[in-house]
Amino acid sequence: MVDSDKKQFRKRDFLYVIPLWLLSLIVPDADDLYSFRSKEFKRRELFYLGALLFVPLIWRDPHFHHLMVLAGIYAILALGLSLFLGYAGQISLGHAAFFGIGAYTTAILTTRYGFPPFLAFLISPFVAAVAAYLIGRPILKLKGYFLAIATLGFGEIFQVIVRESTVLTGGVIGIFDIPFFSIGGFSFDTYLKQYYLTWGVLLGLFLYSKNLVRSKMGRAFLAVAASEEAASTIGINVARTKLGVFVIGAAFAGFAGSLFASIMSIANPEAFSLNLSILIVIMVILGGMGNLYGPIFISILLTWLIDILGKYQAWSLPIYGVILILLLIFFPDGIGTRLGIRLIYLISYWSKKKRRDEGKV
Amino acid sequence: MSLLRVEEITKVYDGLRALDRFSLNVEKGIIKGLIGPNGAGKSTLFHLISGIEKPDSGKIYFKDKEITALESHEISALGIGRTFQTVQTLSNMTVIENIMAGMHLRLKGNLLSSGLRLPWTARAEKGALKEAKEILDLLGLLGRWKSPASQLPLGKQKLLELGRALAMKPELILLDEPASGLTSAEGDQLKERIHQFKRDGMTFCIVEHQMGMVMEIADQVAVLDNGRLIAEGPPTVVERDAQVMDAYLKRKRSDA
Amino acid sequence: MDSWTYLPQLLASGITVGAIYALVALGFVTITRASQIINFAQGEFVMLGGVLTFFLLKDLTPSYLLAASMAIGIVVMVGFLMYLSVIYPLRKAPMLIPLIATLGASIFLSNTSGFLFGTLPKALPPFSGQQPFQIFGVSLLPQSLWVLGATFLLLVLLYLLSHRTLLGKAMEASSTDPLGADLVGISRNRMVFLAFGVSAGTGAIAGILITPIFFTSYNSGTILGLKGFIAAVLGGWGKNTGAILGGFALGILEALSVAFIPAGYKDGVAFAILLLILYFRPKGILGSPFVDSRRW
Repeated sequence: MVDSDKKQFRKRDFLYVIPLWLLSLIVPDADDLYSFRSKEFKRRELFYLGALLFVPLIWRDPHFHHLMVLAGIYAILALGLSLFLGYAGQISLGHAAFFGIGAYTTAILTTRYGFPPFLAFLISPFVAAVAAYLIGRPILKLKGYFLAIATLGFGEIFQVIVRESTVLTGGVIGIFDIPFFSIGGFSFDTYLKQYYLTWGVLLGLFLYSKNLVRSKMGRAFLAVAASEEAASTIGINVARTKLGVFVIGAAFAGFAGSLFASIMSIANPEAFSLNLSILIVIMVILGGMGNLYGPIFISILLTWLIDILGKYQAWSLPIYGVILILLLIFFPDGIGTRLGIRLIYLISYWSKKKRRDEGKV
Repeated sequence: MSLLRVEEITKVYDGLRALDRFSLNVEKGIIKGLIGPNGAGKSTLFHLISGIEKPDSGKIYFKDKEITALESHEISALGIGRTFQTVQTLSNMTVIENIMAGMHLRLKGNLLSSGLRLPWTARAEKGALKEAKEILDLLGLLGRWKSPASQLPLGKQKLLELGRALAMKPELILLDEPASGLTSAEGDQLKERIHQFKRDGMTFCIVEHQMGMVMEIADQVAVLDNGRLIAEGPPTVVERDAQVMDAYLKRKRSDA
Repeated sequence: MDSWTYLPQLLASGITVGAIYALVALGFVTITRASQIINFAQGEFVMLGGVLTFFLLKDLTPSYLLAASMAIGIVVMVGFLMYLSVIYPLRKAPMLIPLIATLGASIFLSNTSGFLFGTLPKALPPFSGQQPFQIFGVSLLPQSLWVLGATFLLLVLLYLLSHRTLLGKAMEASSTDPLGADLVGISRNRMVFLAFGVSAGTGAIAGILITPIFFTSYNSGTILGLKGFIAAVLGGWGKNTGAILGGFALGILEALSVAFIPAGYKDGVAFAILLLILYFRPKGILGSPFVDSRRW
């Protein structure tokens, strides 16, 4: 009797274990990032790069491409915020505003003033960065949840201003017919081309972020998150560091916004709401603080999730709220963190539970 | 040569005089001990010197330059490093990164050049890694260079904090209760290492409220009680000072 | 200037809305004092109060009082459930996580309400007549008086609860010194649980009071919650009296601002006030007992 029970117990466990194990193969553990130049790590990166390059060519479903384009935009947003939140430990609940600034800058420059999209693409993050600089200087003096609320307030004010300035931004309706992104006549008008554009930009920004994180600046960010007092005693200008990360995060959002405008062809205030800011924060948290890969994976995952839920139109948002809460409860450190260890805990917990239950019978 | 000079510093917290017209002088190349019963104002002094707080009155000079009003990071840039009473290792990084973080001021790179990994920043990183390993080796922490700093036991974390301060290559290091929480073996190791660094030209100012450790390594000792300087001199002299004993035992002079 | 003649009228409506902000702010402060968490779903409690009462009144019972009481009861249950399913499991996580989780709960509650009860704004019949009456040239709805009266009553009740009953004192103790309260046997978890119930109930009552004047729809909770939070910060974060003062202050300032800037920007006024307060006097008007030197 004992043997057959054991067999049953093992079979069921596989159901839980296999997907988690597969996931842990793909998503890197944050702990890996501590190792300098570990070979295994480089192999994984090549795998990711290969997948990014070739999967869309193999799987030619335009809906898939469309989703991945969106995921790419979210990934850029999450990457920028991840430097501010995941590394420097500061919270911003108004990040969508910089996304909006980027989008509207591109929209206005291309539709009203006939700027070539490529130029608008370069200017938009700059505008977002300037806005972040101006807003950041007073706001970043606040700590903890006061900073969170102040950024939230800023995000809301941005939305109100955009909605009301009908002349500049087209008010609630927004701006239409934004031309597709193009360089020298080559226009990115299909989802596939847009995919490579978006993920190309993401890759560039990702490399920048990776270099930054593995340098004295990255350590400065982490130091500010760990202990502002200690950071100031090793010569780190805490205020300037926070401002710097904030501006960079905003610039990334500006890039994302510009791409969004060039791809969606429209820009309206509803796209840059508090809900988006919250979504980006959740992506960073679930992706793992102190982790650049995690947020990118999560943005892909959540984009797919939202798409799947979209089929159950009415139920989608409530379920979305529930799933977020559940994910936060089970993965407060983020999905990308210590997945291997978590796996072991889960297995041992379940097997102990099984044994306890069986013991009672 | 006077490296650090504190003149008539007063700091009041909500009516409590943490420091009362306190003055101190630290010569270059010595180990200055700072002792006194709990609450005497020793840590407050360090906070004021390192710029984390500002005095209500008085001035602080470092190498004859006034630093009273400077920001904490500016003071560190001038060459003052410190450790904390409650160890503040950068727990979100590895051991080696903690040391490398200490080198922040000495490395080249800013948001742009580091992000683009320009050749001189890449070189700086490699050099920093090598030097950090050397510092860890000196402190006996090299074996765990890749571990997360939070996983170290307390004694090693304190050493790590010392290493982080050393990585700055400062001229003066303020150690705030370095021996508390250490076993006697670890305490001995620490004493040895401080001696070593002093021989290399570092000046130390050590706050301790346990007399034992400080008395053994300090060249000069200053005693605080209730924010005031009550004795100063070589350890052997201060040890026997009646006022000092009273302060520690909280005896009233009239009872003696 | 023409706008000046409208001021007393604006003032009156501002005080009415201010009372609601005060109640919402009080809900925030109650939970934050007990648990250091900002409950972003607070506005949803208000929304649910109004929407549930409408639903019950329409489909279950013609008695206004019964429908209202049941709605309040249900919302209190929702508050308790929220604590048990969201806050309690995350009690050990760094404070950012429960905060985000309450945002998730807010999304869940508002959208579920939209799904179950429809997205159209709901109105409730006013407690006593429809006709506004005139006092000193200002036209007031009788409902406004109900709002003010009920708010006042509720504040008195809450005051009595926290100062005169053992339970209330226990909650106060737990919020001032959680460790100390724990050591004398007051379970922090239980206090937070109750705080959620009290906040939910307060919010629900606010919702029932305000729906006859301003319609309530499934997403009015979000903005109301944010404004209630701003009111709490304005008046003095962490203080009950601050929440009340801030609520009225915000209501009045917001209403008066319409005289000077285009009406569409009205919502922005609250956030502008927030930024100004955070920058110039983060402790709020009355000052805050929380000195937030911790990172979170």
